[in-house]
Amino acid sequence: MRKPDRGTLMAALGGLAAVVVALGVVFPGSVAGELLGIASRPIMAEIALRLAVPITLAALGGIFAEKSGVINIGLEGLLIISSFTAVLVAWALGGTTSAALWTGFAGGVLASVLLAGLFAVVCIKYEADQIIAGLAVWLVALGLAPFASSVVFGGKNTTSINRFSEWTVPVLHDAFVNSGVGILSYVGHVLLRANPIVYLMFGAVAVSWYVLNHTAFGRWVEASGENPNALDTAGVNVHRVRYASVLVSGLLSGMGGAALSVGHVGSFVGNGTTMIDGKGFIAIATYLFGNYNPLGTFGAAMLFSGLESLQIGIQQFTPYEVPSQLIQVIPYVTVVVVLVLVGRTRIPEAAGEYYESGDDR
Amino acid sequence: MSQDTPRWRRAIARLVDASVKERLVISVAALVLAVAVGFVIVTLAGLAASCTTHPTIFGVRTPSCYDPFAVYSELFLGAIGHPEQVLFGTGTWTPLDFRVASLLRSTTLLVFTGLAVAVSFRAGMFNIGVQGQLLLGALAAALATVYAAPLVPGGVVGTLVLVPVGIVAGALAGGVWGAIPGALKAYADANEVITTIMLNFVAANLAYVAVSTWFTPADSSLVQTATIPAAARIPNVPFGFQPRDNFSLLGLLFAVALVVGVAYLLARTSFGYDLRTSGSQPEAAAYGGVKEKRTMVTSMGISGALGGISGAMLVLMVQGRWLSNLPQLGFDGITVSILAGNNPLGVGFAALLFGVLKSGSAAIGFGTNVPPALVDVLRGLIILFVAMPEFFRLLGGRLGVGGDVDA
Repeated sequence: MRKPDRGTLMAALGGLAAVVVALGVVFPGSVAGELLGIASRPIMAEIALRLAVPITLAALGGIFAEKSGVINIGLEGLLIISSFTAVLVAWALGGTTSAALWTGFAGGVLASVLLAGLFAVVCIKYEADQIIAGLAVWLVALGLAPFASSVVFGGKNTTSINRFSEWTVPVLHDAFVNSGVGILSYVGHVLLRANPIVYLMFGAVAVSWYVLNHTAFGRWVEASGENPNALDTAGVNVHRVRYASVLVSGLLSGMGGAALSVGHVGSFVGNGTTMIDGKGFIAIATYLFGNYNPLGTFGAAMLFSGLESLQIGIQQFTPYEVPSQLIQVIPYVTVVVVLVLVGRTRIPEAAGEYYESGDDR
Repeated sequence: MSQDTPRWRRAIARLVDASVKERLVISVAALVLAVAVGFVIVTLAGLAASCTTHPTIFGVRTPSCYDPFAVYSELFLGAIGHPEQVLFGTGTWTPLDFRVASLLRSTTLLVFTGLAVAVSFRAGMFNIGVQGQLLLGALAAALATVYAAPLVPGGVVGTLVLVPVGIVAGALAGGVWGAIPGALKAYADANEVITTIMLNFVAANLAYVAVSTWFTPADSSLVQTATIPAAARIPNVPFGFQPRDNFSLLGLLFAVALVVGVAYLLARTSFGYDLRTSGSQPEAAAYGGVKEKRTMVTSMGISGALGGISGAMLVLMVQGRWLSNLPQLGFDGITVSILAGNNPLGVGFAALLFGVLKSGSAAIGFGTNVPPALVDVLRGLIILFVAMPEFFRLLGGRLGVGGDVDA
């Protein structure tokens, strides 16, 4: 099948959105008008940003790992283990103070880095099949977190604790919100007062973009995935670059999982497929859609989380009696559609392959 | 086809091509190691848990709340109803114990999900979507038997018609749902690991909405279908466990027959040859005239059909209706298949072993204060260890038995 390239696809999406907006403006009473009315509320953008956090952070991690040549399909497991551990640690410290929550956050990140380290050793030192090892990371976390929760909390769901309180940009927030100008007030509501995890996400996107495009480490990561032999010849240890990249994927995914549990929700839900519910796999589709570019990946994550927040909005603000389970299907179907339509995603040349350096043995 | 596909397949080929002996050693070693790590996890978890009485191990009172020896005694002996009681004269035991029935019930269902995963892996694809195929197969089987019941007589004739109708309906639903990611992979190069996982969520939500909107009886407070007619239950022949055990030897025989059937299909038919070569040597297969795209869709369809059959059996033998919280046998199937080296005959044994773990998990919940979710931890650990044959090769080399493991 000939696939449309990314530009065509984005243009089509943009066109569709423009049509809906135009219809909404012209016929305010129509469904399009109603959707536009909901989507233009600041709260919808705020929800979309918060929902994008775990997906974006895990996807950024996935970019580092896969660019270096290790396909990390276990992002889901890293999100699960960090979201649980963060709640556990924060709860053990009382679960109410900001210090307890941030320590819990750090604990969650640490757990994810450790699990990613295990994955790295299994893949790089013991030459495991990366897909199966990644599935193992997912299934280990899917078993371990609900088990540990049952041990400590007596059930697969933890007790509720506090969550991060919002940060406000001083002076500017009030100035923007009270400016009386629609767009400034919107920006003030959405961007100048937000959950710290949103700022964390912006920071991570910027730093990842910079590191990948403008540092020596970024070039090593690229070479390690595209042409490990050349990197080896240049005197850089391929295995070390890959270890570092997988650990970075653990760090970023850990921030994503902990942000969801102690940042946004205030508990861990371990029933069924846990509160992560496929976000790690959506993250993989996200960075494929974003073509391994942190900025494009963030855009793709916003597409998914925007759809999800619109679903919440439709349920809250319209009288339509659509079963919520039906609307929840939309992001998952979108992932499938994206994978079918996305063209020209060229995975790194050596991704998925064990690299045997000449002086190993 | 894109450049990445052959490489993914080569990786699987590496796993598939290892010799049977090597595979056996690795699987047993992985199992032992998972059990050992589980031992440590139980002990550590016991330190974090709270309890009033601490167990005494070898005459020493432990600081841990959990007794790992008791856990493993329940996991392996409790799983079959504690037959050692007879030896010690502390109780009675028969092979028809309800725990034996529970073990064989899980084994039967896991054979189908294990085979489902194995067929896809052998074809060079990862069907992680067996759980979704199971859910839809279960729903199709429940609806088909409920709606076909008024059209057929009751009794033996009814059973002879309804049971096959339910199984075929389940296989069709699962097969179609499985063929979708196969087609997306073949014709649009969409990564099947992700699409199958996404379709799990889609299947669960769609089935839930369909049942809650159209098929839940008016007097039911839960989201579930009506109970299937008695004639549609798999009959408890040739001889019986208790009816309440929800297990029929006939069901197990059907599972064994499918093991043999799939083994024959893969090893002895030309389709099986095409399937295996397109999994292990895709270039050679394409060169040899294998219609690889069609093979992809067909093998994912067969894989999905097996997943659908597991759902049908779950309804016809165990649950008697479709429920929204069906067990996660699809994910267990991944471990069963990987543990079996994706070999259909091996799937039989791995399913038996997993049946022990499943039944043991219930026994743990009953006989100890340790959460039965422990078994889900072991499930992940087993895959992790099976995934790293090199680890055991190095370990074997250290211990001086390397020659044994080398292929």
